[in-house]
Amino acid sequence: MYATIVGHETRVLAKTPALVWVLLLLIAAVVFGAWSASNTVARNSAGGQAIGGYEQSLRDRMRADLAKYEAKVKASGGTLEFAAVNHAPGEGPPQATNAGAVGSETAAYAVLPPTALAALSIGQSDINLAYIPVNMRNVVDVTKENEIENPVNLKTGGFDVAFVVIFLMPIFILAMSYDLLSSEKERGTLAMVLAHPISLAKFMASKLISRLVVMIAVVLAFGLGAVAATGGDLANADTLVRLALWFGATVLYCLFWFALAVLVNARGAGSATNGIVLAGSWLLFVVVVPTLVSLLATTLYPAPSRFDFTTAAREAQTKAEFERMQALDQYYYDHLELVPDGDKKANDFLTLAMANSAAVEKAVLPLYQRFQAQLDAQEATVARFQYLSPAIMMQRAMNDIAGTGPGRYAHFMDQVFAFHRAWQEFFTAKFLKREPLTTADYDRIPRFSYAEESLGAVLGRLAPSLIGLLLVVAGLTTAAFAGLRRYRVAG
Amino acid sequence: MAEASLTRPSPPSMIGIVARKEFTETLRDGRFKWTAAIMALLLLTALASGWQRYAAYAEMQAAAQGTSNTQWLKQGDKNPHSAAHYGNYAFKQAGSLSFFDSGIEPYTGNLLFMEAHKQNLAISRPANDMSAVTRFGEINGATILQILMPLLIIFLGFAAFAGERERGTLRQLMSMGVSRQELMWGKALGIGGAAMLAIVPCLAVGTAVLAALDVSAAPDLGARVGVLALAYGAYGLIFLFLTLGVSALLGAPRNALIVLVGFWAFSVFLAPKTAAEISKLVHPSPSLGEFQAEMKADQVRGLDGVPTAAKFGKYVRELMAQYNVESPMKLPMYFPALRMQKLEEFDHVVFDHHYNSLRDTYMAQRRLQDALGVFAPVLPLTSASMGLAGSDLLHHDTYTQAAESHRRLMVERMNGYLSKAAVDLNGVSNSSNYMTADEEVFAIVPPFAYAPPDVRAVLAEYGGGLGLLFAWLLAALGFALFAASRFRLDVR
Repeated sequence: MYATIVGHETRVLAKTPALVWVLLLLIAAVVFGAWSASNTVARNSAGGQAIGGYEQSLRDRMRADLAKYEAKVKASGGTLEFAAVNHAPGEGPPQATNAGAVGSETAAYAVLPPTALAALSIGQSDINLAYIPVNMRNVVDVTKENEIENPVNLKTGGFDVAFVVIFLMPIFILAMSYDLLSSEKERGTLAMVLAHPISLAKFMASKLISRLVVMIAVVLAFGLGAVAATGGDLANADTLVRLALWFGATVLYCLFWFALAVLVNARGAGSATNGIVLAGSWLLFVVVVPTLVSLLATTLYPAPSRFDFTTAAREAQTKAEFERMQALDQYYYDHLELVPDGDKKANDFLTLAMANSAAVEKAVLPLYQRFQAQLDAQEATVARFQYLSPAIMMQRAMNDIAGTGPGRYAHFMDQVFAFHRAWQEFFTAKFLKREPLTTADYDRIPRFSYAEESLGAVLGRLAPSLIGLLLVVAGLTTAAFAGLRRYRVAG
Repeated sequence: MAEASLTRPSPPSMIGIVARKEFTETLRDGRFKWTAAIMALLLLTALASGWQRYAAYAEMQAAAQGTSNTQWLKQGDKNPHSAAHYGNYAFKQAGSLSFFDSGIEPYTGNLLFMEAHKQNLAISRPANDMSAVTRFGEINGATILQILMPLLIIFLGFAAFAGERERGTLRQLMSMGVSRQELMWGKALGIGGAAMLAIVPCLAVGTAVLAALDVSAAPDLGARVGVLALAYGAYGLIFLFLTLGVSALLGAPRNALIVLVGFWAFSVFLAPKTAAEISKLVHPSPSLGEFQAEMKADQVRGLDGVPTAAKFGKYVRELMAQYNVESPMKLPMYFPALRMQKLEEFDHVVFDHHYNSLRDTYMAQRRLQDALGVFAPVLPLTSASMGLAGSDLLHHDTYTQAAESHRRLMVERMNGYLSKAAVDLNGVSNSSNYMTADEEVFAIVPPFAYAPPDVRAVLAEYGGGLGLLFAWLLAALGFALFAASRFRLDVR
């Protein structure tokens, strides 16, 4: 019996021109989404390479200057000397010997590589900078740049696979199933079918199976196609796990909409009413609730203005300049081990600037941390209210799976902060001791290499969204099938 | 004469009767009450929170700008060029109607550091400090009218003709002597009036807020509100006429609903994203890294292929010839200041080239999206609405350009002062330590302030889009009248 109904339903679906058209449109949308999102991914990578390469070329040129100088010194039998800043070129040791100059005037870019699934969900990757310029600037200045993109397009949001899945897929599902029972009832075929030895629940289940099969086939094709199209390596364990999670989340999300359609059908209203109720639910869950949750989170925990800490940073800067010797003393105090022999504290422009920057960082850091704490509170609010809408749960899951959400970015930024400290330590030590840099030192300049977060961490972040989605689906399905028991087949 | 025409009993207007009937019937419909209540509630929430944000931001911005201008003056005695390095910050003003439409404000920086040697991008983009959930879109007056108002109109009107036809009352109605055109106008008036009721709270709050706004600060506010009202009115009418036309032409109400909701979903969700992607494809814009790398390279190698160092050498040689001296240190101005200023000026050309081309690309993308409005009227409406609310690219560019002009003025005045005041220090080593300036000198740079573009500039930019919107209105009206002349009286 099952097989008969499933076969029949599948044939009916395939013969419904409107559905076939919607499906074709959906496929076109996924192809377009994967392609346009992969452009964004490529654009970000190109940005990192361009500016990272440029800064590296500056250091390479400095290294070449230094090599020339070393050869000259070696030939003349002298010793390498440290160049003060702004030494006129052509005479004496080159700038390249000055660790402070090299560390401040060139930056190393800490780059966050995209995951293989990045094109499935653009997430925040169009606004979060994926390559952070690290140099001697203080930590607040290092993190202040944003990726640039036409703000008009940022407002509209990217056309990616996540958009197709979250926004468009439910429409397709609801179009297939808004009249699951109501149409049979309206045509009068429902009573006839149920005259056969099959329960309403089983009849419904078999109708669902045919639709699910279509849906899962589509989802599988989407994911594989999108990853393959964007050049993802399917042999990689990380990619495979992420892809599996993506399938799981997408199927769950689809199930939510099927279950909702069954629930609405079980109320026994006509097709037109069912259609309106389901369209309204779509609007509610996909558009209204997410924007309201967003409003709630940003109203309860508005990000404190960056204006405040800009003003505070300048106050600190002025203060440090007024008390410049004190700032310098403090700077040396913080680097006691590096005070030159005989306490010959240099007070040149660059040292003062660095002492200043350190003073500003100290003054601003508490504000910065409070700022971050507020953002965390905002995120926690969204996490709490995500269960109000499967679309929010799905968005969070998609971003985490694609590695374009806030979690992976925070993981990256932690490494950037560590790298920033390593960079500062490396150059500050040589600079304060007035040790000339050598070409060998250039090879020891800290390099950034991103360590991918463990899949366990990804799963940990995903768990609330996925479990939430699972529970909602389970609850809805139970309620829907319970509702079927009270369904009036005739009259 | 006027008296006479007033006293003469006017013939019963069929349009009025139909309109009254539609209006009353809609108001009595429970579904209307619910939808209208939800819509009104959302509008009130959106406008209230928008106003609260706007007011808080405007206050913060004014305070921060004041503080920053004072900090510039009170930065302490130092070399004027060091003062230019200390610089000043430009804080972006909120659009005068951004409480209604925050436009691109979450996605543009609102803080711009003006310092010697560098033209910076505006930083501190609110979206970077917000949860990813905000990418679902912001709920504000504009988005509700753009997204939900058409849906409300569709719900109210999809059965206007199709429903009566199904119930068999359409033929009956025509037998009363009403003309097809009158019927269309009557229904439009009745349903449009009911839809207006749902938007009334928006109008009330909007008026209250406008009364609270300081109109003297923005004399063009009235014009902005007027054009906004016209644009949204046209947008609503487009959907009203399309809905009635489709309802008249298609057989069953269910079909009319599917077609209309399909067009709505395409129009407000699919079309904007597709248009954005198309515009990116046609006018690609660089990422930050590419933008910076190109600009830095051009600063060294020169846009015209003549390296900046060579240009500067030539300039100094010419100057030495002009003053007939054999060393730049013998020039009658402080050479380091002269040098810094000249290098700034070489950079200006490079900055202008790159920043202008970035701005032009963004503008070209937006204009293309407006033009794609031939497929979806929401596209030109969104653009014009942001423009009129003062939260669009045009207002952002005015801000960034004002900041850059101020930066150039600040650097030029500081270097200019230095080059005259420190002329005796030419050739003295570590001379920069001996030249300090005080608050009086810093005051030759005026405090940073700027005025947003006038409504005329906004209309010049968005006139085409608004024209397209009104063309849509004419087309929709034509379609409705065509449908009126063609609709069937009975279900086939």
